[in-house]
Amino acid sequence: MHPTLELDRVSKHYSGIPAVDDVSFAARPGEVTGYLGPNGSGKSTTIKMITGLIERTYGEIRFDGQPIETDLIAFKRRMGYVPEEPHLYNHLSAVEYLVMVAQLRNLPLRETSERIDGLLRLLTLYDDRHASISGYSKGMRQKVLIAAALMHNPDLVLLDEPFSGLDVGSALVLRSLIQELAHRGKVVLFSSHELDTVERVCSHVVILHRGKVVADDSIAHLRSMMELPTLEEIFSQLAVEQDTASIARQFADLIHA
Amino acid sequence: MRKLLLTCPARLPLQFRVLYRQFLLRVVDLEALSIEADIPRFLGQFAGILIFISLVQAIGALWTPPPPGFAWHMEQSAVSHMMLVVGLIVVLTWDSTFPDRRDAMVLGPLPIKPRTILLARIGASSALLALTIVCLNFASSVAWSLVFAAARGTGVFLRFLASYWLTMIAASAFLYGTVLTVQGLTAFLLPRRLFLRLSAILQLAAFGLFLSVYFLAPFIESKSDLIAIQNQPILAASPVPWFFALFNECNGSLPANATWLAHRAWIGLVCAAIGAAGSLLICYLRTMRKTVEEPDLIPAGRGLRWTLQLGGSLHSAVLLFIVRALNRSRQHRVILAFFYAIVCACALGLLHHAPKFGSTMPVSPDFVVLTIWMMVFAVLGFRAIFPLPISLTANWVLRITQLRSPQAYIGAVRRSLILLAVVPVLMAATLFSLSYRPFSQTGAHLAVLTLLGFILTEISLIGFYKIPFTCSYLPGKSNIQFVFWGCFVGIMLVMLFILNIEIPALQSTLESGLLLLLFTAAAAALYTLNCRRAHSAILYFEEPPPEVLTTLGLLSALPPTSIAKKP
Repeated sequence: MHPTLELDRVSKHYSGIPAVDDVSFAARPGEVTGYLGPNGSGKSTTIKMITGLIERTYGEIRFDGQPIETDLIAFKRRMGYVPEEPHLYNHLSAVEYLVMVAQLRNLPLRETSERIDGLLRLLTLYDDRHASISGYSKGMRQKVLIAAALMHNPDLVLLDEPFSGLDVGSALVLRSLIQELAHRGKVVLFSSHELDTVERVCSHVVILHRGKVVADDSIAHLRSMMELPTLEEIFSQLAVEQDTASIARQFADLIHA
Repeated sequence: MRKLLLTCPARLPLQFRVLYRQFLLRVVDLEALSIEADIPRFLGQFAGILIFISLVQAIGALWTPPPPGFAWHMEQSAVSHMMLVVGLIVVLTWDSTFPDRRDAMVLGPLPIKPRTILLARIGASSALLALTIVCLNFASSVAWSLVFAAARGTGVFLRFLASYWLTMIAASAFLYGTVLTVQGLTAFLLPRRLFLRLSAILQLAAFGLFLSVYFLAPFIESKSDLIAIQNQPILAASPVPWFFALFNECNGSLPANATWLAHRAWIGLVCAAIGAAGSLLICYLRTMRKTVEEPDLIPAGRGLRWTLQLGGSLHSAVLLFIVRALNRSRQHRVILAFFYAIVCACALGLLHHAPKFGSTMPVSPDFVVLTIWMMVFAVLGFRAIFPLPISLTANWVLRITQLRSPQAYIGAVRRSLILLAVVPVLMAATLFSLSYRPFSQTGAHLAVLTLLGFILTEISLIGFYKIPFTCSYLPGKSNIQFVFWGCFVGIMLVMLFILNIEIPALQSTLESGLLLLLFTAAAAALYTLNCRRAHSAILYFEEPPPEVLTTLGLLSALPPTSIAKKP
């Protein structure tokens, strides 16, 4: 049986102000769930609550039918996470970082070693594997994060802006990889602002606006229901309140352009 | 005067004032601080320690005035302490005069002249230096002048006081200028990448040099020592006697045939000033460009897939993380070097007192004392650097991969501390012990030393529910003045223990046995306590906020009858 990630009325309040408000949805195996929303809508906060980095104010998160806090360690073993910002230990090299993560995850060393080499080759980091991460570009750091998140073959993959900084070739590889992982029965939750990519990769989207879910459906169903041809237009209709052209004009006026 | 003080800074260019303030707050490495770090408070605590030392010296001098002959001792001590403290400041603020990559990227595109950045940088470093000089000497200078010169009239008193301050400022400026000259020259002559690597080594070398000069500089007992022909090579080589001679020259008490030493101080000062100004200026104009032009990715040679296995993958991960952080973080290295310089000084002392190769001698108090100091400072050094963070934002990975109990993590930290701090000292002590007899006494001492290492390790772990280098740290809240004096008292207690308990106990097998039993019990008790507390501990990655509990005391203000009547 394949596991499912379920969020049930999950909320996070900061000083009484809701950042995430009664969010409920389910991410199923075999499909890529897109998690969308404008800046500050609560996407990353939700993902951090799923990882356990942030405690939720109330609500329940279940994986494979069990609340995650029932056995948080077992849940962490099955989870891979690519954070929004590529924060890494800069004094380590890519290979040292990945070995450290493998050791912390208690993975068998010989097998992991081969897997790390393989991942670094596939991600075109092999030649720079011994260089300090402090010298890496944003895209290279992103690749290290992706390798660290996936090397233990997780059942649940949480991707928060995974395309950030990646070049075109690597982005295409990652796009196919996300689909491949879903195809192999993983639960993939994918947060991004790149609506075009989301439209190509995801079968199911959850749209968040001001901390609340405003849409939770398949893209095809949303298109037909809202009679809009693209995800970008659906998103604009549901989550963008501003007149973008007017704001651009005001901006140019303000700087006397 | 007050109006002048207030208006003068306002007349400085705005750019300079903004940069000066930023650089002053960053003169202590920001990487060690979390975002809410209270740097002014940290600097205030640092100044507090110096003021306290100055006050203690002053009160001591006024309380029990030393004989006039003690003036030479005081002058040399003051110069040597001043140079050591300034040396430490220079080492801790090693990179604060040169722009780093962040400065280059942020300030480079802005319309700011390099000279403004240069002056602001120098101003910030000089301000810290001036704060140090004033805090360390403000009370002691007046007290020493009163004790040694006031009786001979106001003129002599004022001359002594002026000589004191001139010498302290000159010695500090000499040291600061010399270091800047060396840094400037290396930055000018070497490619940026090589300079960065060499600079880290130079920093540690300078640190070792300052400590060596402090501990090994010759002490001038009398005027005959100062003018003795055989002493001249060693006096000529060390800057402490130069500035001591300068003090006496200004003071009017320097023998005529020793003025060459004072001249050395002047020449050194002028050379340091010219060298620093010249090389810094040339380098500064180039450094910014070199920093920006530096490639993002420095090609690395063949790296080592170092997957050491040490009783489980978690233990290996923690140990390797610590070793790599120490190997690559300059800031951690420098702080550890401070403690290890003392450890090395003890080891040098042991070598100095050791019998010739092939011969042996009875166990001496020097051997016992120095090996125990080595153990204390080795553990203290690691304990001092463990809370200092590195790349705090990357901690999420440790929280995501926290698949074991906090007990396991604390166990890994314990093992790392023992392997890195206790074992090397034990090995060194064992080697030294081969020169001493009888073996029963050296063996007993080594056993005591081992148990002391375990006890210190367990004491270090009390309440330390962190992975080293991964928790935020607020220096402003660390109360360094209490830690400093706490350590001082602790070290005194250890000293008393060695002299009054261990050394006599080593003479008797029964007493040695009892001592070992006592230490074993203490180590076991501390281990049990830590294990028990670790069982319910939670690893933390951010310094817990202080508990704010304000008692209004309303109940105590009410009459007892009204409390009793409350249903």
